[in-house]
Amino acid sequence: MKTFSEKWIFLIAVCLLGFGSPYSFAKEPTTLVFLTWKPNQPEVWHRLVKEFERLNPEVRIKFQVGPHSSTQYHAIVSQRLKNKDTNLDVFFMDVIWPPEFANAGWCKDLTPLFPVQDQEKFLHGPIAANTYKDKIYGVPCFLGAGVFYFRKDLLQKYHFKPPRTWQEMLDQGKMIVEGEKDRTLHIYSGQFKQYEGLVCDMLEFIWSNGGSVIDQKTNLPTLDRPDVIHAISFVRDQIIGKAAPEGVINYEEPESLDLFIQGKAIFHRNWPYAWSIANNPRKSKIAGNVAVGKLPAFAGHDSASVLGGWQFGINRLSRHPREAWRFVQYMSSYQAQKILALEAGLAPTRRSVYYDSDVENRMPHLKAFLPAFKRARPRPLSPVYPMISQELQRFFSQAIVNKDSDIPRLAKNASARIEKLLKLGAMVK
Amino acid sequence: MNPRDQRLYLAFLSPVILVLLIFIVAPIVSSLFASLHRIVIGLPQLGDHFVGLENYKELFRDSVARHSFWITVIFVAVTTFFELLIGLFMALLINHRFPGRGMLRACVLIPWAIPTVVSAQMWRFLFNDAYGMINYAVFGADTARYIPWLAIPGTALSAIIMADIWKTSSFAALLILAGLQVIPEELYRAAKVDGAGLWRRFRHITWPLIRPALLISLLFRTIDAFRVFDLAFVMTQGGPADATNVLQLYGYKKMFVEGWMGYGSAISVCIFLIVLILSIIYVRSVGRRLLEASV
Repeated sequence: MKTFSEKWIFLIAVCLLGFGSPYSFAKEPTTLVFLTWKPNQPEVWHRLVKEFERLNPEVRIKFQVGPHSSTQYHAIVSQRLKNKDTNLDVFFMDVIWPPEFANAGWCKDLTPLFPVQDQEKFLHGPIAANTYKDKIYGVPCFLGAGVFYFRKDLLQKYHFKPPRTWQEMLDQGKMIVEGEKDRTLHIYSGQFKQYEGLVCDMLEFIWSNGGSVIDQKTNLPTLDRPDVIHAISFVRDQIIGKAAPEGVINYEEPESLDLFIQGKAIFHRNWPYAWSIANNPRKSKIAGNVAVGKLPAFAGHDSASVLGGWQFGINRLSRHPREAWRFVQYMSSYQAQKILALEAGLAPTRRSVYYDSDVENRMPHLKAFLPAFKRARPRPLSPVYPMISQELQRFFSQAIVNKDSDIPRLAKNASARIEKLLKLGAMVK
Repeated sequence: MNPRDQRLYLAFLSPVILVLLIFIVAPIVSSLFASLHRIVIGLPQLGDHFVGLENYKELFRDSVARHSFWITVIFVAVTTFFELLIGLFMALLINHRFPGRGMLRACVLIPWAIPTVVSAQMWRFLFNDAYGMINYAVFGADTARYIPWLAIPGTALSAIIMADIWKTSSFAALLILAGLQVIPEELYRAAKVDGAGLWRRFRHITWPLIRPALLISLLFRTIDAFRVFDLAFVMTQGGPADATNVLQLYGYKKMFVEGWMGYGSAISVCIFLIVLILSIIYVRSVGRRLLEASV
């Protein structure tokens, strides 16, 4: 019996040695955890990561997929970072988060690795959004900005040029709707649900009337200024339930895009990703009839777009900061951005990719987006932005939902609440 | 009871006590603890100072919280009332013997068995302004007249209330059915012999005897309704204009979206206290009724 078990042990040991040896002498690969949301084209991202692993055999990337909504993804990332989770190396940041994450000490200061001469290869807007107190905390992955889509077939039919003012848009839209004799055709479609997107859409109306929500110099809210009130009243009285169906009050991007690609709206505000969907004949009834341009403005003012987009951040407590940086570097390289642009339709953050001949040939509309990208304005940069956003969402929603809302009074209440938050944010500056 | 037995009982009980301590008592205590501090997760520089009842004082001054409280009260009152009413009818129906009763009993439970998140998503589609079945049922193909139910504050709240009634009436029915089944058949037969009609049999036999079951389902439904979160989270995210921003959702947003751990905990503790007080009131009255019923 004894010899029997000894034989077994010997056999097992031989097997272990035999199978284990090729690996036991090589270095154990480092596994990096990359927390993403579910991308629209996951296969493109997986291919990029496979390529990175081929070039860096000693690093393995483990995907963890979080919720798609920015607000819910934020809840997960911030909880994990706050709880000092060292099993998280690389994550995405929405363009509004770097000040908060930097101030909380969650993301690694990348200034030594990502010097100014490298930063200059990127568009200015996203670099500014990743900078907090003169240090940089993230590398821009892809970019977003509010862009204006419209039906070029309908505009041509009625001999209209793309509208430059909101009023012009309404006038053209009224003529087209009357001419088409279609009761289900709407003039405009956008995002007005009580969520982050509402802040973006409303800021574009307010900015394009020369207004703003926070005075950067005095650090005080400016919601009760006449230009702000006028822009909001315009949305309430002319857009909701008039130019746009009343249902937009519960629309996020997908629902508003649906209305447009079903041919039920003439003008549409969305992010750059909508271009490829609107022109995909399998998904869209208006493929080939879509054009893009800059958003209209109020008479006498300039058009304005909100800056969006996503950045890579590295956990300050990551156990593999060197590998994490190599990964981020690779994912934001010229080649990677080119692939993301060509195959996933994502707008590059590196200037030079826009002038790449393949990108110019196959994605000519990206060049058309460039002016909007260069002009795009960030939402208030503050470590307390998530709180300010909740107050703005509440205020905007209350102002536009009821036709007889007392906007100046609502603005005063919201200002008081935001002022408190700004004071709190100033305490850590 | 001798002391050795007592130790043995304690030993047998200890796993349960441990589980209760870890999963129920500890979270409540830590919420209570957090609610007395100012903790903002995005601003660690502020530290986590003990602020006493500051969060609670702030909560009572917070107009948004007050609004959320009343929204929740409306939700609780309306859903509980209709769930008990519909549940009572369903229970009376499936208590009768008729062919296919087993099948119907199973069907009644389906809405309750579906996870809330799934049914919320389903109701969101039903109430959709462009392709929702409810609009189609009301207006047919006349899409120009379709109503955006979830975009109007009043109808959005009603939509969530409807979804909840649809889902949990069957739970009330189940509890009431249990109450119905313990009523001895002889009582009805005796009443029939005495010439009592349907209404009088219900009024004088069924009603007094199922009151304890009704009270218990009232207790469960009120407590559960106060904690409503997932329906609003999936269907409206609290909008439009905060019309469906129920208390739990407000607390969640404060804590996980904005990062006010202390303030969010204070909201949770308040919900806990409201539910606790309601439970005490109900349990006491149910207890008394039960005693009366058995005398």
